[in-house]
Amino acid sequence: MSENQTSPQSVEVVCPSSCSSESDANERPETDNGTIYSHDSGFEGECHSTLPASPTTIPRNRVGSASRRDRPRRQRTTSTSQNTIRPNEAIIRFSNNRTIYTAGRPPWYNTMGQQVEPFIIGICGGSASGKTTVAQKIIESLDVQWVTLLSMDCFYKILNKKQHEAAERNEYNFDHPDAFDFELMLDVLKKLKEGRKVEVPVYNFVTHAREATTKTMYGANVIIFEGILTFHSADVLKMLDMKIFVDTDSDIRLARRLKRDITQRGRDLDGVLKQYSTMVKPSYSNYIAPTMAHADIIVPRGGDNKVAIQLVVQHVNTQLQLRGFKLRETLAHSETLNQPMPETLRLLPETPQIKGLHTFIRNANTSRDEFIFYSNRLIRLVIEYALSLMPFIDVKIETPQGITYYGKRMASNRICGVSILRAGETMEQAVSEVCKNIRIGKILIQTNQQTGEPELYYLRLPKDIKDYRVILMDATVATGAAGIMAIRVLLDHDVPEENIMLVSLLMAEIGVHSIAYAFPKVQIVTSALDPEINDKFYVIPGIGNFGDRYFGTEPADYDP
Amino acid sequence: MTRSTEDNMNAVASETNQMDTDYGKNFKILLPNHQIKELQTILRDKNTNRSDFKFYADRLIRLVIEESLNQLPYSDCSVVTPTGGIYEGLKYQSGNCGVSIVRSGEAMEQGLRDCCRSIRIGKILVESDAETHEAKVVYARFPDDVARRQVLLMYPIMSTGNTVVQAVNVLKEHGVPEKCIILSNLFCTPIAAQMVIQHFPDMKILTSELNPVAPNHFGQKYFGTD
Repeated sequence: MSENQTSPQSVEVVCPSSCSSESDANERPETDNGTIYSHDSGFEGECHSTLPASPTTIPRNRVGSASRRDRPRRQRTTSTSQNTIRPNEAIIRFSNNRTIYTAGRPPWYNTMGQQVEPFIIGICGGSASGKTTVAQKIIESLDVQWVTLLSMDCFYKILNKKQHEAAERNEYNFDHPDAFDFELMLDVLKKLKEGRKVEVPVYNFVTHAREATTKTMYGANVIIFEGILTFHSADVLKMLDMKIFVDTDSDIRLARRLKRDITQRGRDLDGVLKQYSTMVKPSYSNYIAPTMAHADIIVPRGGDNKVAIQLVVQHVNTQLQLRGFKLRETLAHSETLNQPMPETLRLLPETPQIKGLHTFIRNANTSRDEFIFYSNRLIRLVIEYALSLMPFIDVKIETPQGITYYGKRMASNRICGVSILRAGETMEQAVSEVCKNIRIGKILIQTNQQTGEPELYYLRLPKDIKDYRVILMDATVATGAAGIMAIRVLLDHDVPEENIMLVSLLMAEIGVHSIAYAFPKVQIVTSALDPEINDKFYVIPGIGNFGDRYFGTEPADYDP
Repeated sequence: MTRSTEDNMNAVASETNQMDTDYGKNFKILLPNHQIKELQTILRDKNTNRSDFKFYADRLIRLVIEESLNQLPYSDCSVVTPTGGIYEGLKYQSGNCGVSIVRSGEAMEQGLRDCCRSIRIGKILVESDAETHEAKVVYARFPDDVARRQVLLMYPIMSTGNTVVQAVNVLKEHGVPEKCIILSNLFCTPIAAQMVIQHFPDMKILTSELNPVAPNHFGQKYFGTD
């Protein structure tokens, strides 16, 4: 994108494409409008009036002029943070290197806990051809809640002093393939495709260097990779599941550039024209236009071509359905009756104490004060038991009495706790009480009330977590969907499966089966096993909503 | 857990059962596992610093206390859960109290408090004569109705058993039946076990380890007076 050359003048622009994407986002009505460069019109109806060709694969509520903005997409059960009160604001966020997340990350693996490859869409096209608009429209029409939008701009090479000076004189060619670090681009795409965590560089167009901080991205269900030269490298091409070329008339592209650079970036007409004729246009003819041959679909007229976009969306939806992302329901209804419990399950010996503690905390009439006290006692016992399952080595020590004592020490003190928020947090205190100075990570997973699926919202883990044995804590396990997601997260952070131990107060048999089936090496520890779960995915007879009872956030009509 | 460690644990467990038969049904050892063994190892290691010593002692105490509470009488009790299900649980009877033998027994009081918040706790001070090593009760203070309660007697180290014998005698003088006393102990020698069982066959005894050498430095190191 040659408008990047203006960057010395436009200091606030960290990443040029983000700028263009933000403008597209903010001015969506205008791009929805038939007249491409006009700023004035603001109606959205036209875009949405194009019905999907096949309503079965496209969410019906998308049809018509009802805007996505006034449709409450999700409700959360437990959290009372501001985000939940204003659900619409959480739907799509534009961060400055253009990752588009919706509020929570739904499962990115199948019921066996195995990674499902994300669907990667490559969008190529000349500068100002409407690539970002096409990407936006695809994201909006796909009812997928976790989409990563990766821009090629992240992979601009770091410029040396000479090149930097050339850039300041508008003489560095940002539209040439040499301007990009294709090796890094390939590496990032590979990792995203494997569902791994990846650090994406943030390119600073003022210093022409990468920022010290990087942006963390995860492979999503759908990854959209867009840029002017996305089809240039044969290796990158191989990774794209779908290749879209946005072919917009060069007059229109020039007109857009002129308008954007002059009205939004304060540049003069001569400068823009000079840059266009000396670099942007030749590069397009030499490097960008020829790659059109690789495209699966060529979209003429960019974002205005609704038919083409709907065709793309239909195809992607079909692909996603084939890959299967409906998890919890499958888990809740999987056939597990009369199956023997897995060998990895370790149930605490049922002593009168444990049964007595369960009697207190399961009783609907127990006051919160007592609920917390007896829960903490039970948690302590569960954690102690979990620690006893860690690997130990034989040691020989000297006692003050002068005799040699043959004892045991834990094989490694690299143990780390990870709690699944919110209920798992209640177990942190106990684990800190038995393991001195233990590191604690947190994973926030919430159930989307509409889909019933778990969604990943927040993640903070110790840096070198792969070297630790992890005690993963959640107070209750019903379908196991949240547990599976958390284990998947740990695996994506390179923690070996056999080093993970999932620890709970109460589990439903079905959840244990699902987790053990997905991750046969993960140890599962619980103090009680209940036979059933109900249609709200609560364990029967169960404890109720453990987090609500512990933190006192029950719905108002609930008053024990 | 691998098969071999499982076998190891079974071996330890059967050894324990052996001891159970040797010392009668009222003598119990905490179900051994590697974690408990580690705690014992740390407490016995002369290189353990005081902060670690107290930390790991408290953990072991908590486990012993929790297990001791298992010995208390209870009755069946069904409750309704918030999801409307029925849980067949149990309920402990009220009327328990703790009694610690001063000084090292007091180390176990906090562990008991952490499990039973408002439990009544009595104390007995037994001092052994420096020359004759004969144990003598110097001080005793119990709840008035101690005779009607289950008594959790706390004393971490038993090497001869003399102190405990004196303490139980005092309890009996106050009308507490032998069968209502549960002795919570961390480290016990076979001599002490035999001695106490011989004197009080109906008293329940719970310890975490039976070993010919008791870590007699426990009280000193726990309270930092070594």
